[in-house]
Amino acid sequence: MPTIRAASASLRLRSLDARYGLLGALLIAPTVLVFCTVIVYPLVSAIYLGLFSIYTPTMEGEWVGLDNYRRLLASGEFWRSLANNLIWTAGTLTLQIVFGILVALMLHRNLVFRALARSLVLFPYFLSTVVAVLVWRWLFNDLYGVLNHLLLWAGIVDLPVDWLGSMPNAMISLIFVGAWKYFPFVVIAVLARLQAIPDELYEAASIDGAGAWARFTDVTLPQLRDVLIVVVLLRTIWDFKEFDLIYLLTGGGPIIGTQTLPLMVYKEAFALNQMGGASATAVLMMLIMLLFMSLYLSRARD
Amino acid sequence: MSGIRFENVSKRFGGVTAVDDLSLEIGSGEFVSILGPSGCGKTTLLRMLAGLERPTGGTISIGDRVVNELAPAQRNIAMVFQTYALYPHMTVAGNIEYPLRKRRVAKDERVRRVREAAAVLELEALLDRKPRELSGGQQQRVALGRALVRDPAVFLLDEPLSNLDAKLRTHMRAELIRLHRRIGRTMVYVTHDQLEAMTMSQRIAVLRDGRLQQFAPPRDIYARPGNDFVAGFIGTPSMNFLDGRLKGTGSGRTFRSGDLSLPLGMLPLTDEMPEPDRRVRLGIRPEHIHFDRQGEPARVNLVEPTGHETILVFDYRGNELVARMDGDIAIEAGDTVKLAFRAEKMRLFAAADGRRLNDDSTA
Repeated sequence: MPTIRAASASLRLRSLDARYGLLGALLIAPTVLVFCTVIVYPLVSAIYLGLFSIYTPTMEGEWVGLDNYRRLLASGEFWRSLANNLIWTAGTLTLQIVFGILVALMLHRNLVFRALARSLVLFPYFLSTVVAVLVWRWLFNDLYGVLNHLLLWAGIVDLPVDWLGSMPNAMISLIFVGAWKYFPFVVIAVLARLQAIPDELYEAASIDGAGAWARFTDVTLPQLRDVLIVVVLLRTIWDFKEFDLIYLLTGGGPIIGTQTLPLMVYKEAFALNQMGGASATAVLMMLIMLLFMSLYLSRARD
Repeated sequence: MSGIRFENVSKRFGGVTAVDDLSLEIGSGEFVSILGPSGCGKTTLLRMLAGLERPTGGTISIGDRVVNELAPAQRNIAMVFQTYALYPHMTVAGNIEYPLRKRRVAKDERVRRVREAAAVLELEALLDRKPRELSGGQQQRVALGRALVRDPAVFLLDEPLSNLDAKLRTHMRAELIRLHRRIGRTMVYVTHDQLEAMTMSQRIAVLRDGRLQQFAPPRDIYARPGNDFVAGFIGTPSMNFLDGRLKGTGSGRTFRSGDLSLPLGMLPLTDEMPEPDRRVRLGIRPEHIHFDRQGEPARVNLVEPTGHETILVFDYRGNELVARMDGDIAIEAGDTVKLAFRAEKMRLFAAADGRRLNDDSTA
């Protein structure tokens, strides 16, 4: 009798397990579905489209195999855009990290208006890109811009500077605006970490003979390492893919002086009406990012 | 060589007084504990000595130097923190070496001294590990190593054992005593644990509300507490107190509390008795209470056997009285017994300010 009861109980349990399994599958189904629709499908179709020569308005085309890739890798524009992309990403990321840490260190100290300052720092990050870029374009304007006005008034320059229409000014302006827009992200992440560093570490270091600079390099920076690894990872991905800020501020110009890969993809797809080439560019961009990220993560893990 | 002197030292944080006009002199090479309940100012006192806090008033000297204006690094002290404060990204060797590196000691010398300190603390096998890979006791030893390697004149220890489990704490207590004997440096040890203070120190400074209550060797702190706070703070279970009045003079002196009357004739008192108001507190430690047919009746409220001894809680004429008796005593809650106090062990305190009225010569 007890054996039978035990057996029926285990049977019931097993069917209960199965039902739980079904419920689990049901519950994650929406996520899997959404994931497939927005990530897997576009990814696969981009790889697929990259093998065709397609006229964008009709989306009709013919199989060309790897011709799109051959053409891209042989073109100067692709390499120029990649170089621009790297310059933009490295430049703006460096500024973001440096400014971000400096401002976080300042906010970590007991400023009088610390709470207010903390909210104000987030302002550029909250502001919509379109609005921010329109304001910056006015500031940079060569004829009416405040920046040129002040520089002329202070006697620093004799002639108005063409901030966005000449090189390397356009790239420098771009890097600067990008840094201004995104450094608050670094501030918030670093500040949160700073507040978690125990005071005793600083006190032990000052007893051990460390001055202010040594306390920064021997206590603060090592403690920030982990958070900076994540911040650099995320910001690199986001900056590498940045489209709207660059498109709105310079449109990739002068000529292709500030054209990065995302802008090139856009141009191929909708200005030159070559969806195949655009897809191939996007796939190459993804591969480059994957390469960088895997290198970075393997280095960071040591 | 490197004694420590606090002269009228005060520390106020805004409106709060953490240390109040405190004077204390610690001998060179002495092991001194600063003991008190939390918030008594003991850690503030240590941090002022380390240079992490600036005294509001008074002077602090180490050796012959007034150190009020000196940075922590210039005071020739080392400190061990309650949380150890090891640098998490450095190895054990890196942690111990750090103070030497900051003082620009040559590489060979650094390696030699790290190895020496590691040998003393039995850390040789762990030198390449990171702090997070160590147990609490090992981290504690690394923190000590970082202090030891500099050979400072004074060691400051801020509750260094309170994050360890009970067994390890007993072990490290012995280690610290051995270390102190071996290196013979002045050590100031802050703790709220009277057992640590009693077992390790040559002298104990008891603090309460930022004021020094008593500064004496452990034996004296226990047997001749300066006031009723020290008497009640030291000893587990605590000393029992009975509030009452002192009647009569000379050998006819008695302690009266309600209808209780205890003769105090053989207890020598200091002359400075508060004559008009003779309200006093009688203190008696749990181990100085015994059964006596001529004694006062008391009812047993609670029996707590701990094995080697039994703690008994009595209702003694309306007062709660805790006594420490043999482990194999046969007694139950509800029983009525007769109790007496060991007369020469009774301590008398002034009710007004708590100071002890027994003559100092009584042990």
